[in-house]
Amino acid sequence: MEYILAAVISLAAAALGVPVLQVIGNRPRVGAYLSIAAISAAILFVAANTAFGGTVTSFGSLLVSDVLGDLFALVVLSVTLAVAVVSLYSAHDGPSVPSYYSLLAFSGLGMLLLSYSADLLMLFVAWELMSLPTYVLAGFDKKRIQSNEAAAKYAILGALSSAIILYAMSLTYGVTGTTQISGILEKLAGQPFNPLISVAILLFIVGFGFKMSIVPFHMWVPDTYEGSPPAVATLFASATKKAGFVAAIRVVLAIATVYSLTPNSAFSLANVLAVLAVVTMTFGNVAALTQKSMTRLLAYSSIAQAGYILIGFSIFAYSQQTGLFTYNAMLGMTGSLLHIVNHAIMKGAAFLAAMLVILQLKRGDLGAYNGLAKRMPITAFTIAVSFLALAGVPPLAGFWSKLLLFISVINTPLAWVAVAAILNSAFSLGYYLWVIKRMYLDPGESTERVKEPFWFVVVFAVLVGLIIGIGLFPQQVISLASSAASSVFH
Amino acid sequence: MDPVNIPSYFVWLVFVLPYVGALAAPLTGRGRIRDVVAVAFPFLSAMFALVLLVPVIEGHTIALVNSIIPASVPWIPELGINFGVLSDPYTVIIANLVAWISFLVMLYSVDYMKGDNGLTRYWFFMSFFIGSMQLIVLSDNLLSLFIGWEGVGLCSYALIGYYYHDERENWVGTPGSKALGEEQAYAPSHAGMKAFFMTRIGDLAMLAGILILFITSGTFNYHQLATSTGWATTLAAGGLLVPVALLIFGGAVGKSAQFPLQEWLPDAMAGPAPVSALIHAATMVNAGVVLVARIGPIFYFAMQSNPALIQPFFMVVAWIGGITAFLAATQAMVGFELKKLLAYSTISQIGYMMLALGLAGLSTNFAEGLSAGLYQLMSHAIFKAALFLMAGVLIHLTGTKYINEMGGLKDKLKITFAVFLIAAASLSGLPPLSGFWAKDAVLATAWNSGQFGLFLLGSATAGITAFYAFRMFGLIFYGAREQHPEALAGTHEVKEPSPIGWIPYTVLGAGTVLVGLLGFANLEGSLQASSIAYIYSLFTGSAFSSLTSAASFDIVPAGITLVFVLVGLLLAVQLYVRRKVSPSSLVKESGFAHGVYRFLENRWYINAVYYKAFVNAPLRASYWTLDHFEIGVLQRVHGGGASLAVRLSGAGNWFDRNVVDAVSADFAAAGKALSKAFRRVQTGVLEQYALVLAIGLILLLFFFLLVTGLYTSI
Repeated sequence: MEYILAAVISLAAAALGVPVLQVIGNRPRVGAYLSIAAISAAILFVAANTAFGGTVTSFGSLLVSDVLGDLFALVVLSVTLAVAVVSLYSAHDGPSVPSYYSLLAFSGLGMLLLSYSADLLMLFVAWELMSLPTYVLAGFDKKRIQSNEAAAKYAILGALSSAIILYAMSLTYGVTGTTQISGILEKLAGQPFNPLISVAILLFIVGFGFKMSIVPFHMWVPDTYEGSPPAVATLFASATKKAGFVAAIRVVLAIATVYSLTPNSAFSLANVLAVLAVVTMTFGNVAALTQKSMTRLLAYSSIAQAGYILIGFSIFAYSQQTGLFTYNAMLGMTGSLLHIVNHAIMKGAAFLAAMLVILQLKRGDLGAYNGLAKRMPITAFTIAVSFLALAGVPPLAGFWSKLLLFISVINTPLAWVAVAAILNSAFSLGYYLWVIKRMYLDPGESTERVKEPFWFVVVFAVLVGLIIGIGLFPQQVISLASSAASSVFH
Repeated sequence: MDPVNIPSYFVWLVFVLPYVGALAAPLTGRGRIRDVVAVAFPFLSAMFALVLLVPVIEGHTIALVNSIIPASVPWIPELGINFGVLSDPYTVIIANLVAWISFLVMLYSVDYMKGDNGLTRYWFFMSFFIGSMQLIVLSDNLLSLFIGWEGVGLCSYALIGYYYHDERENWVGTPGSKALGEEQAYAPSHAGMKAFFMTRIGDLAMLAGILILFITSGTFNYHQLATSTGWATTLAAGGLLVPVALLIFGGAVGKSAQFPLQEWLPDAMAGPAPVSALIHAATMVNAGVVLVARIGPIFYFAMQSNPALIQPFFMVVAWIGGITAFLAATQAMVGFELKKLLAYSTISQIGYMMLALGLAGLSTNFAEGLSAGLYQLMSHAIFKAALFLMAGVLIHLTGTKYINEMGGLKDKLKITFAVFLIAAASLSGLPPLSGFWAKDAVLATAWNSGQFGLFLLGSATAGITAFYAFRMFGLIFYGAREQHPEALAGTHEVKEPSPIGWIPYTVLGAGTVLVGLLGFANLEGSLQASSIAYIYSLFTGSAFSSLTSAASFDIVPAGITLVFVLVGLLLAVQLYVRRKVSPSSLVKESGFAHGVYRFLENRWYINAVYYKAFVNAPLRASYWTLDHFEIGVLQRVHGGGASLAVRLSGAGNWFDRNVVDAVSADFAAAGKALSKAFRRVQTGVLEQYALVLAIGLILLLFFFLLVTGLYTSI
């Protein structure tokens, strides 16, 4: 627990200290470097916690330190770090840089606390700490109209989802008299069907589903991803989205272990999640097919991927309700967590590459990608690898998580989800290949080399290395995901 | 015989080296070194394969000694999945075929592809393909087989569409020709996409089958599947045994272009000739055969006590093989596009392999069918690769892809003429060439297992095969030369290609003769022994009755088939070599003959029907929704939104004039931008978004109330 505390302190220090430094010294770059150092330090502390921490509950049971929390904290903070590094190159300069990094650190802090939350109040505070800075970050290009639009839409709908979550929490508290998740589980265990709790569960799904970009709570995603500064869009797609998943695991799936949604098996939590999964992946893939803008394409693809992740959730819920298919549930949760990790890497790589294209070529439509392999070979290669991985082409990272997810449901009553997912996966390769074809085969408007800045190349190399590395040697990551998954089972 | 010890890394290197070559070739610039590197790695890989082949020829089995990298390494311990390689004689023979044909094709490519702009891309995908193909062959489990399977699919897609500029000369089919109103000519990139999606239909079925098999058995490994057969009992109890086997077989149907997924292969000929030779004749299309050879014995012997439960599966495999062989052979009888004719022939010949593997499960001696399939695979891979390499040269020299525009090349191209004759004779199944023995082995299996319907189908197809093989041969090498477009233009002399061009196919031609002569030395018996050794290696450690090799040569079936072959052959010689009667006038005179001709030329209209049903119908449906739903309904909704927006923007203007302009200019700019942004937000879109979210929530709650019956109490 002391490691987590150290991580919290280093992020908080950066978030609060960097703007102060700016007032004293007016050296924006220094603040940026300090924030990057602080985020790196936080990652190291979390890594140390993974290695030596063990499962501890602390701070009056507000936080719990377990492998699940470590996994998510590592993912979200690593993405935050990558975003912080590449933001050094983005257009903002001058006095706004420290506030940018401060907001980034605040959001990172929120996601860190969220990963370890063991209490609904803590969870809500962390949720807002994560969200509020991102509303500002979305509108950070304040002279650009789309950025303002993105921020406005995101903030209004975000407030709506927060309200829904809060309402769900109040219902839960009203029934159980506690906000501590373990306490709630004790109260609910063996309780008969209670409509208030069931409504609360559904409200939680809607509220968290907003961040997870589950259809039909996804509407903000394409506009916000497209309008926000591209680095911030990366943060949304690869980090805050994952925070939605950890919140859902901590609350919804935890409740599912002791309580079933209705006495009627047709409307079980498993079926609700399964339907949402299929609708989400299908809608995302179909909509992605016709996009003309790269960020919108990535946004829809990101929606689709959320659908795959839900597969593991639904088989988990099914297994908890029926007591059957425990092995499948374990496989499914492992697959979901692995896909969360993979998705953060794959989508992070794709988004950052798209960001570089926007920065250097000043346009984000798919036409800009024609002949990109000649102009920006490293960027094009990064996009190609991450797209193939997103499509689940073996032996890249995305293959393993999808394989686990497909296996987990194929012999259960939820097999139809596997069929839909396999068909979706095949279908999605269409638009991924299309972009790759543009980059490598179609002639571009020029073949002149465009500069690919050093730190971008470093980040790309790390991400591509991870995609291929996890693909070829998946053992370590799978065992981390599987031990994180086992901490979901109570 | 005693096993021969071989270090395990030798086997790994066979498939790893081509992958290394795929990465190395692009790194060595654009010059001669790159080409040398690209050919060197497949050569090294082939040499390692050869080391494995030597003991197999001597009749030994191979024992892998763990050295550097063990024969099987832990891959995903959580699922108990290992990744390993096989070294049984059956596998080694196929691996050698793949390795050596790959090397020869790569060598041929140096000359054939010389000066092409995308050569780096070509070498990368060809090398990557060879590695993936060897991965399919050498894998000891279905999962890494699937990885290789996807790898070859991607390479095939990229190489069919190699001429992605889609120049007219690279199209496949005759532009303008139509069947049922559907265009029958395709650009290379279209053909690549078509191949990819058609094979993917099969791949999806296969993936589903493999995953069901895994979740029931807990393993992907062939050996474990073979030795612990509880999964088969579970599946059989649920009535899923045959469906799961058929799902996996779906992958083979797609990849090996079997009916009903055969339509991608003829159009895949849009790729360069060496690609057609390697991928679409000699190796990748045989991946399906390898797959069936892997799962066939496992399913068969798992149900040894009750074969009736699994026989429907083998029945389907055999009939699909037989029907495909016949269907594609008839299509090869008409039309003039050389590579397309060869593609029909490939589909047909692979049909024989599937027929053999299906018959294996229907007969009492599994090894007989298995080895007949291997024999056919081996013989076909060699002579068909030779035919495709020659096709590349012929098209290049004459400047036309139509065989009726070639003619009279006999005197100018002596080497090519001789090799083509050998290959065509082997394809026709004339003794003593390899094709004769292989086809005889397949048909004898049908005869011996009492499947006379299949025997007659295969036997008649052999006659058709002889007809189209010699029709091709006659049209290309006999008759007048005046028709060549290149000769007419007088651009250049038709002469033999350089040695690096003709040596590869001459070697393959010699291989055909050699394999044919080995037939007299009971090659079939040796292949049966190899197949038996393979089956034993799968089942080591389990109770297993012994298998014996049976001499399958029988004069009756061989005689019947030879009669068919001779009839087809003589007909073709009369019509196309000696040219006694003009076939075109025959077709013109009879309305019936003309109808049959059109039917065959248009591939039995299967292709056109597929396009109508699966390509154009969905497109039309999508346009229909666009017209009737999006434009009709949504526009009205948007109209309402727009009028609201106008009013709102009026309000915004008032706000701009009276409030925003009052504050400082700098602030105003930002404010205006913000107001504009909000105006965009307030065109109703944001409300719509919130509305959708709310509808989602309300739907969830509504269904909740509905199913719990709570609504009655509210």
